[in-house]
Amino acid sequence: MKEDKLIEAFGADEPRLRSHVRQFFGVVWANIKILLAYKSWVIMDLLSTVASVVMYYFVGLQVDPLRLAQSGWGTSYLAFSMVGVATSHYLWSCLTRLSHSIQHEIRAGTLETVAVTPINILTFFIGQTARGYLVSLIFLVGVFVVGIIGLGAQFSANPSSIGTAILLFLLMLVTNQALGLVAAGIIMVHKRGDPVAFIVAAMNEFLAGVLYPLEMLKEFPPLQAISMAFPYTHALDGMRRALILGSSLADTAVMADVLVLSGFSLLLVPAGLAVLDWGYRTIRMRGTTSSY
Amino acid sequence: MYAVETMDLTKSFEREGGKGDRIIAVDHVSLGVKEGEFFGLLGPNGAGKTTLIKILCTLIIPDEGTAKIAGHDVTKEADKVKENIGWLHGETGGRALYWRLSARDNLRFYSYLQNIPSNIADRRIDALLDFFDLTKDADRLVKDFSTGMKVRVMLARTLLPNAPVLLMDEPTVGLDAAGAIETRKLLRGLCKELGKTIVFTTHNILEAEKLCDRIAVMNKGRIIAIDTPLKLSETTRKFRGVEVRVSGPQEDALRALESMSIVKKVVKVQAEEDHTVIQLEVIDEDDAMATIPESLKSNRVKLIGIQVALPNLEEVFMSLTGEGKVEGG
Repeated sequence: MKEDKLIEAFGADEPRLRSHVRQFFGVVWANIKILLAYKSWVIMDLLSTVASVVMYYFVGLQVDPLRLAQSGWGTSYLAFSMVGVATSHYLWSCLTRLSHSIQHEIRAGTLETVAVTPINILTFFIGQTARGYLVSLIFLVGVFVVGIIGLGAQFSANPSSIGTAILLFLLMLVTNQALGLVAAGIIMVHKRGDPVAFIVAAMNEFLAGVLYPLEMLKEFPPLQAISMAFPYTHALDGMRRALILGSSLADTAVMADVLVLSGFSLLLVPAGLAVLDWGYRTIRMRGTTSSY
Repeated sequence: MYAVETMDLTKSFEREGGKGDRIIAVDHVSLGVKEGEFFGLLGPNGAGKTTLIKILCTLIIPDEGTAKIAGHDVTKEADKVKENIGWLHGETGGRALYWRLSARDNLRFYSYLQNIPSNIADRRIDALLDFFDLTKDADRLVKDFSTGMKVRVMLARTLLPNAPVLLMDEPTVGLDAAGAIETRKLLRGLCKELGKTIVFTTHNILEAEKLCDRIAVMNKGRIIAIDTPLKLSETTRKFRGVEVRVSGPQEDALRALESMSIVKKVVKVQAEEDHTVIQLEVIDEDDAMATIPESLKSNRVKLIGIQVALPNLEEVFMSLTGEGKVEGG
């Protein structure tokens, strides 16, 4: 009888929709559902957010405000570090989340079950980043809420500078996600490239000045030169100018950051897409869309 | 037009650490599967069955040759192909699911990827969960499911898009005996009632014999035989023979049969619980079928049944491949 019921439910051949948006929504929806299935992990992440902001508050008490002011970043180390800490979570998400996800999907065999559906594989990959973005958003909001409301961090932002900061933030996401696509394409083929993405993210975090003013690198010219090669360095500089100093696009330094990041975007986005496409094609050539 | 068609399909892989040395997984395979046909791929481990199925569902790009699903080329029109297939991931023990989603959410997620409208998807999901006895566990996370339950969710996922062609790699592995029987019945039903074309691999020869309209026997990347189970048995039979089932004293029956001029020799005698099965090599089966009952009757031996002796699919397989046993591949 069950068989009859089933055959009845499948009797009519109903037309399918043709919507990339719906497919993308489905991937994001599943990612959020999976994230919420890790309840204790979400709680721990929120607690770690609070702990890290409080930690930088106490570190700030040890920093000489005059030295920070001499670097041109005001006198609040807490505000200075908050911008770095809040956005560095996104940096990690952009650079490593997709490669982690693809590695997991290849091992579990779920990449194959997705790849045989009509979804464009790039839509799926981009949707897969949603979980990381969502976690990073919770972290970012948590950092600012705890820092501003709980610990009294001072910013000199205005509507125009906030808009500028958002533009720089989006450019940061685009450029670093493009680097994440490159990492994902390589990891898809070589399976064990994750440490490289980890090292790149860690170097980025270290050299872009998440916790200290970049001016300190003047004493180390090779490191300063390397730091300029990271899009995140320019994004962080611009966002700090906007949020801490209240600068907008009228500020030439901020505009320079926007232009540099736009240049990176033009270069990295096509490169990221090309490497990802190469990776996906290569694993289909080699028959390694799953490995268990 | 064939539902599934391949022409000189070839795929080789570089041997791991082989410095350019290649293994030919699929070697100039040409076949055509008709619409509504239940088609089996049978072969030993490494025969190329899974590679062939993966090429058909666009997961592996072939080196040479063409493959088409519902008339669409798997390399040039992959999107069209994907709209026409339901694929069952084989031999994963239910791993190819999102374990942190419930059974229902796994199916719903798949319905989004397949672009199935929500109202239709919900109706199908309910029917599938009911059929596979998953309704009461539908909202539990898959990570807490047994292997058999996970396989049932995967089967449900394969059927969800209502695709005309189902490509299934070992569809009953991981299911218990009752689940396997139910699933076979369902697959046969889908093929018959809804006109689905099913291409499936199996290590279970009896399953292939029961389900398939035709079977392709694969070995070392090549199709070495392709026909109906009956024809395959007929073409590989080593002798002309009949199988006789009698009750009563075995000796009387053997004496009567051996005295007949049409019987060349007794090939096998097997005592069952309440009767004896005797396999005979004969000069002509039709004559033997006509004369044996009369002869046994005159010798007062009770005949239960008589039929032409054909090798079963296992014997066919062994004869074609020289292999001792069939495994998944």
